[in-house]
Parts: sequence; structure tokens; C-alpha cells
Amino acid sequence: MPGGDGALVPVSNENRGSVVVYPLHHGLNPPIARLAISWSRGNSLRVSVFRPPSEGEAGGKVVEVNLSNGDSEISDAQRRRIAYGSVSPFALLQSRRSSFSSLSKVPMTPSLYHLDWCEHVIEYSKDISSLLGGPKLPPSPIIEDPKAIFKKGEEPTYLKAAWEMMEIFYADKQSQAWLPERLVDWLADYDSLFSSTQATIHSKLVDFQKDIVNIQVIEDDSRYWEVISSALAVGWLDVVVKMLRLHGSYQLDQLSYRETENGLIEAVAVLISKMPRLRPESASGKLGECFKSKPDFNKAWEKWRAQITKLDCSAFWIHCDNLRTREGLKNMLQIMLGNIESLCMATCHWIELYISHFLYIRPFTMGIESMYSLAQKCIQSKPVSSAHRLTGLMIGILEENTEVVLAECSREYGPWMVAHAVELLTAGSEQAEILLYEERYNLGGISIGELHRLIYAQVLSSHALTWQIAPIYLTSCMKQGMSLLEILLYRQSVQHNELLLKNIELCRLYGLDHISSSIMKVAGVYHWKHGRKGSGIYWLQQAQDANRLHIIAQQLFDSVGKSISDESFKQWEGVIELLGSESKTAGGLEFLRKYRDFKKFLQQVPGGKSTEAARRAVDSLILLMKNPSTPQRFWLPLLYDSLKLLNWQDCPLLNVCETNLLLNKVQELSLARVRPDFKESSLPPEALSCVRLALATNLGRAILDE
Amino acid sequence: MAVTALSERPEIYRLPQYKYVDAVRWLPPLSAFDRFAVLALFDSDSDTSSIEINSFKPNPASLEPQSSWVSPSRVSSLKASQFLQKTIIAASTFAGSLHFLFSDSTDASLESEVSVPENELHHGPVSCVDLMDGGMECVSVAEDGKVNLVSVGNSSLNYRRVFDSSGLVSYTAARWASPVEFATGGYGFSLHWWDQRKPGGPVSQFKGNWDQKMTAGIVHSIDIHPSRKHTCLAGGSLGTVFAWDLRWQQQPIMLSRAGTVASDTEVQSVSEIMEFFTDIYLLSSFKNAEFSLGCLLVLLHSYNWTLAISEAFDKRKKLRRKPCTDFPFFISYQKRSNGIVLLNWRPILNLTFFVIPRQQ
Repeated sequence: MPGGDGALVPVSNENRGSVVVYPLHHGLNPPIARLAISWSRGNSLRVSVFRPPSEGEAGGKVVEVNLSNGDSEISDAQRRRIAYGSVSPFALLQSRRSSFSSLSKVPMTPSLYHLDWCEHVIEYSKDISSLLGGPKLPPSPIIEDPKAIFKKGEEPTYLKAAWEMMEIFYADKQSQAWLPERLVDWLADYDSLFSSTQATIHSKLVDFQKDIVNIQVIEDDSRYWEVISSALAVGWLDVVVKMLRLHGSYQLDQLSYRETENGLIEAVAVLISKMPRLRPESASGKLGECFKSKPDFNKAWEKWRAQITKLDCSAFWIHCDNLRTREGLKNMLQIMLGNIESLCMATCHWIELYISHFLYIRPFTMGIESMYSLAQKCIQSKPVSSAHRLTGLMIGILEENTEVVLAECSREYGPWMVAHAVELLTAGSEQAEILLYEERYNLGGISIGELHRLIYAQVLSSHALTWQIAPIYLTSCMKQGMSLLEILLYRQSVQHNELLLKNIELCRLYGLDHISSSIMKVAGVYHWKHGRKGSGIYWLQQAQDANRLHIIAQQLFDSVGKSISDESFKQWEGVIELLGSESKTAGGLEFLRKYRDFKKFLQQVPGGKSTEAARRAVDSLILLMKNPSTPQRFWLPLLYDSLKLLNWQDCPLLNVCETNLLLNKVQELSLARVRPDFKESSLPPEALSCVRLALATNLGRAILDE
Repeated sequence: MAVTALSERPEIYRLPQYKYVDAVRWLPPLSAFDRFAVLALFDSDSDTSSIEINSFKPNPASLEPQSSWVSPSRVSSLKASQFLQKTIIAASTFAGSLHFLFSDSTDASLESEVSVPENELHHGPVSCVDLMDGGMECVSVAEDGKVNLVSVGNSSLNYRRVFDSSGLVSYTAARWASPVEFATGGYGFSLHWWDQRKPGGPVSQFKGNWDQKMTAGIVHSIDIHPSRKHTCLAGGSLGTVFAWDLRWQQQPIMLSRAGTVASDTEVQSVSEIMEFFTDIYLLSSFKNAEFSLGCLLVLLHSYNWTLAISEAFDKRKKLRRKPCTDFPFFISYQKRSNGIVLLNWRPILNLTFFVIPRQQ
């Protein structure tokens, strides 16, 4: 709500550029009393707008604002795919880094160390780059259109273009010698991305391609020659040769009387396809002759230039009567000879002019510094009206200004790019490594690299579908990663088992036992509260939370009834199974297990014969009665159940001490009966007196025995 | 550790989906040419769930949406079965409702839907539903401790409660064994065997005499092979897979588990086993052995799901397995169908098609 009377926060005009304004359509009349803002699903904010209480009007409204970044190039799903895909290359590089730093203690020649590390970085870079491909285009038709100049490949994306540019400059140390040629290839792949702000050679070619079917005599069209020389200027040799062969003189019916003209065209085409290139090898189908070493290339280059000059001075031109063809071809020769004016004419964007310099004027590697001054010169001769996402980055790289590169990455491509590009920036540049990995007081003791990694991890954490990969990034941050990881794991919902299990597994992976036990406690209480007693008990037991299990036990016995007769005990079987073996925490539920054992022994005492079995039953009865977790209301039923043990024929089974313990319990029970909150058991009324009598008899016999 | 490699590497195709895939199943095939898969999808951006029938095209591997139905809540469990030329899809939701979709088997169009509303059968999320093979009966279990049977008619449903533990036992898995028997699994590695002819409670309960070191966990998946109806195979927490033979109820056969491995016949695995399928046809090298079953395991690793194929385990308790992929998925395996598995690359919303060459 900027500007208008309803604005809550004034937005000054100077800040307009940097502030993104999302208009809210809440439809409430002013005044607005209160605003509450919270995160909603995904990338949405939930804004609750409240009015002061008044009659006859809505008190408030809740609206959702989708904070989409507006970058339609990459969809959210695609972004998630990239996020998941980049986890394993990132993790691999991190583990290699740690093994490398332990290795580096062993004396090793620094250059060898460097080379090895660069190999890892380039592998990482290639892995990441393969993820960034745009949507695949439909497969090319089987019958190739003879007039199709272009082969359509993957739809290029800015993200991939930027990543590859950084790879060329920072990571790919091995091909540093033929860096200009790599830039030529780069532009061939991504020239179309510059078309968004101004005309490019690519856009000219696309336009021409559209019209090509309507043109009768192709060589008479001025655009034909224009486009050919443009493509030549940026080194798209196969396109150039293909287009030259569309020339009318190649048609069989015209070949006879346009022989000279055709010969000249063919000579130029051959020269183009023989252009020496300083690169290891070119991709299949690309034209040009590749030379790996500079001296070889130099020789070939001189020879090639001599051939061009020779052709330029040839007498055949006079015999060529097609003016357009003659001028077009002559212009192409000028481009190949590196005529600056021709190059300027043929190119559109400064970056195209820049690339043409590498091809025809200075085909040798030069230092980054002179590359930068050359770029400045190109910008001067072809000024741009507005900044471009890729040129900003490129200038930053050429300036050798790591801060600018980082800022451009962050501004144009977001946290994913920065977090992953740091690895490229620091590869082989000590200066950048110091800049990015130096701990900074003003950042709370962390480095810039770690800060950006944390920012990216926060972005991942904020989405339900990506939070589980955030730990990889958090644990790679030495200073603050672990504490943020703990917060992240704490924050996850415990409602769905799958999520809960994953969360616990992550805790196990990072040795955060205290977190996983807290999470299990939360899950236990959550399930218990929602009536899922079994799962509640399970999770509390996993968390070894005897305290809560004790409280739960009291509630559980309350809810199920006063007595635990044979009938109702069946339903406890499941819980006892769940409690598992003796060794595990069961809290107050321990009673159930002991009671089950007692019952089992009691059942083994049929007809009062086996004294051995009866003794075991008595032992477990005493254990039960001694245990403080045995609820008072079960005392009488327990004693009543074991009457036959108390009245054992052969000998008294309980000694004096044990009988006294039980008598004390009976006494306590009689006292408790007076209390108002006492719950009467469902036993017959004479039960208590029966037990008392039996105990008294037993005591007498026991005393006599001793 | 008895781990051997599969002789051939499986082929894996990824079929990306742009929504979160909650579950995926093959539909029973009617002809050799048409293959359909049903997907439960969740769109996290718009917070909508749907069940979609897709036709599967093998070359190149792709899924084409045929028909779709909007679900009121996220799907927690999905099953499909065939009865009298009709395909029935049973889906349960996290809200507690049950839905039955009928589709035409020839063109996979959705014809009708009947449902049981939430709080009718279960309170809270339904853990698992299982449709009887070639029948109209569906068993549903949940953590609220209720076990229900639903008889699916063309336009009406009859349902009855088989058991209610009032939450004392929470169920997490269910599987039909025969037209009258089924097995359920739950917390503490509990397995219950139910027989409709003997109502009132489970007819058998698995009492695991786990040794002290063994920690109990959750049963995530049960499978009972039609030719070995007396053996209930369960997989769950901490990589545990065990076989419970009804004829020797006190002796579970441990096939895989975490921690120290007691003997060299067990396999160590620490991940949760989320889904679990057996197939007698998967492997024939143990033809004469008592347990000659191959099984597929879906493991949950902290960042993803992993598939392992246990080639076979026999009476010498051998489990051979091989992790095949390092990406997460869901799995639906169709018995006797040339070993085709449909997998789901879960967090990134990818669906994967997976072919295991049958080794005969």
C-alpha cells in the first residue's frame, strides 16, 4: 500500500528501486489497527489485517502474498531439482577438501597440490553445469531442412551461461591457454540471451531464417551478406559455410555461366573451413583446423593470412560480374584479415565485437588485464543502454574484483549461485580464498563464504520439500552450522511418521542424540494427546522418558477401569508386547509387565500342588507390592487373586517379613478408604476381610515355622 | 555378509513429475499393450491433492495423464485391484477418509467414486489400506488402533469394525493373505494375524523373543506371497526384515537388521525399510529351497530413498542385496510382470521406471 492514504509504512521515492512493493487488496476501510505477518505455505506470506473493533464491519481479513521472485526463467520445481542435484557434487567436493587439507600437511610441491585440487573443482563444476540445462527441445526432424541454418539445441538459460563463464575463467585451469576459444564457444551457445535487451547476431540470424523461404534470389538480398559476415565475425564457421552454399551460383542450371563467381565463393568457403584455431580439438562437425601448440598455430596462421591476402588480390574478382557477391565476399575477407571497421560493422553487441577481436585481431592468449582494457574499448565503440545480467558478471571477472563477482551472482542469480560459486572463485586464487574464508569480526566471526552458505541453507530450510538437504550445507559451516541445524531439526513437524523418521535419521547421522530424544518426546506426547496411545508410548520409550511414561501410566490405568480382571486384561496384551524386554524404560507401565509375569506364574499353579511354581508366583507378588509404581487401586485385586497362595496347604509360602509388608499394605488401604477420592473396586465386599484373615493365618504359621 | 551382485544392472528411467508424489501404483494390466499407473500427487504451492491415472509409454519412457480426481486431503496409502473388468483404486487420506475410485479398465477413465468420510472409520490419519486381490474387500488400519473392513459395492459401501484397541495398539501396515485372512503390523514390531471366521480379535500374535540387544521398531510394510501364505514377511525400522512363519510362531527368521550382525547370514542395514515386496519369480536359483523368494526393499536414507534388491533368501537365511540407486523414490511392484517397477523420485518429484531383467 505505497503512496496512498492507507499506507502503513511510508516508502520514500529514493528507495523505490531497491524495495519490491506487493500491493495488498484487503478491502478494509481505514483505520487499520494491527498487522500480523507470518510465513504461509511455500514462498507465501500470510498477512492478517485488523481493524479496531466496530459494529457492522468485518474486524479484519487475512490475505496471502506470494513472494515469487519474478524470475520466470526457472520454475520452482526446476529450482528444486537443481538444489537436489547439486547436493552430491557439493558434498563430494567438501569431503575432498577435508581429505586434501589433511594431505597438505605432508610435504608436497605446491603446484602439484594445486593441479590436483583444480581437477576436483572442474569435475564439480561440470557436474553442476550439467544440472542447469534448460528444457529439452523436441528431437530434430529426421529429414533435415536444407535451408535450416541453425541446429536447435537446448534452450539456454542465464544461470547456466553465468556458471559456464565462471568455470571458464576460474576453474578450468587446463584450458587457460585457449581461453579465447572457449569464450568463442560460450558466445555461440549463449548469444541468444543478449537478444533480450538489444539486437544480436543470433536475433538477426533467427529473423533471416524466418524469411529465407520467401526470398527468390538469395544473393541479391543485402541481409544475406550482412548475416553471413556477422556470423563469420563471431566464428560460427559452419553456419557461414552452410549459408554460402545456399548461394544461387551453386544451382545446377546456373553453374555453367556463373563459374567464376562460384569459384570465388567456394574459395572463400574453403578458406573459412581451414581457419587455424588455437585449441585442442573442436567438437565434431565444427570447422577449422585445430593446433595445440602456439608455434604450430603461428605458422598456420601466417600461412592462412597469406592465402587470404593472395585471394584478395586475385584477378578473378574482375571477372565476377555479380556486384553483391563480389562486395560481400570482399567484406568477408576483410573480416578474416581483422579489419576493425568491418568487424565493427558486422557485430551488434559489444561482447560480439569483443569475441571477434579474439578471433581475427589478437588470436593469442593475453593477460586478464589486457582482456579487461580490450573489453573497455569494445564497450566504448558499442555502448549499451542498460545493464545486462551477464555482462555485469563478465566485467566483474575481467576486473578481477571478487567482491563485484559475488555481488553480481547474489543480485542476479540468488543464494544458490553464490553458495556454489564460492568454490569456483577460490579455486586457484589465494587472494579470493583469503577474502572469502577469512573470519570476520563484523560477521560474528564467520567468513563471507560461510555466510553465503548459511543463507542458502536458510532458503532450503524454509521449504517443506527442500529442508532435508539443508543439513549438508549447514554441517559444512564450522562456526554456526551446527546450532542452526539443531534449530532446523527441532522445528520439523512430528505429525507424519515419514517426516519424523527422516528427522530422527538425520539426528543419528550427525550425532545429535539429544535433539532426536527431544523430537521423540514431542512425537510421543503428540500421539498420546490424539488418542494414539500405542504410538505415544512407543516414542516416549524410544526417548527413554521414564518421567512421562510414569504420568501416562497413571492416566492409562484411570481410563481403563478399576480392576484388571482376566477379561479386561486382554486388551493390555498389545501394550505389554510394545514395552518389550525388561531392559527397556517403561516408567509406570513397568507394572503391566510385572503383573503379566505374576498372572503367568499364578496360572501355572493349578490345584495347589506344585510348591515350586507357587513360590515363583509369591516372589513376583512381593516384587509387585514393593514396586512404588503399582497403583494403590490394584493392591486389593492382586491380593485377592493370590488368596490361594496365602492359604497354601503344605507350608506357609510367605515369611514373617513378607507377610508384614503385605499387612502394612492392607492397613494403608483401609486408611485410604476413608479418603473421599478413594475408588471402590469391583470385588465382593468381604474381599478385604478375606485377605486380612488369610494374611493373619499365614503370619501365625510363618512365626511357628521360624 | 552375504552380499552378491546382480548379474545384470537394472535399467533406470526417470520420469519427472512437477508435483510431490505421495504414492504410486501400477493398475492391473488388462492387455499387453496398455499400461496404466495411478499417482497420488500433492501440489505444495496450491495445497491441493489429487489422484491421477497416467498411461505409461515405454519408448521413450513417459507418463501421460488420462484422468484425475481431486482428493480432499493428502493421500496416505494407495492400492489398486481388479474385479470383473473393473479397476478399483483405494486411497486413504491423512484426514482419515477412505475413497474408492472405479475406472474403466480399457481406457482408464474414472467412472465413479464412493467414499467414507473422516471420523467415520478412523480418527486421524489412516496408516494403510489393502485391497484383496481380485476382490471387493478392503482392510484399513490406523494408529488410532482401529481395524476396519470395507466391502466395496458398485455404488455403496458396507463397512464394519473388526477390532478397536482404543489406541492401545497402533497399526501401521496391513496385508491380505487370503480371502478371509489378513495380517497387520504396528509399533514394537508387532504382527497380528486375523481371520474373519474367528471374530473378536487377532487369532495369532507375533511375540518377538528379541534378544536384549535388539531394539523394537515399527513395521512399515508387510508382504505375503500367494504361494507362501503361511509366511508373513515384515520390514521396518533400522533395516529390519524378518519372516514370521505361522507354523513356527515363536521363531522369527531375521533376514536383515542394524547393529552388530549376529551371524554371517544376516545383512546389516541401518535405514528404515519403507516398502517391501517379494516375488517368487524374481529369482529361480533357489528353486528347491524352502524360502525361495526374491524381494525388493525400499530403504529410507536420511536424504533419500534407496532401492535394494535382495536376490533371494533361502532356508539358510541368506539375503543378498544390492543398492541400485542413490535417489529417492516410491515403489510399486507387479508380480509376474517381467519385473517392472515404477519408482518415484520423491522430494524432487521425479518418477522413475525401473526394469529388472528376470534371471531365468
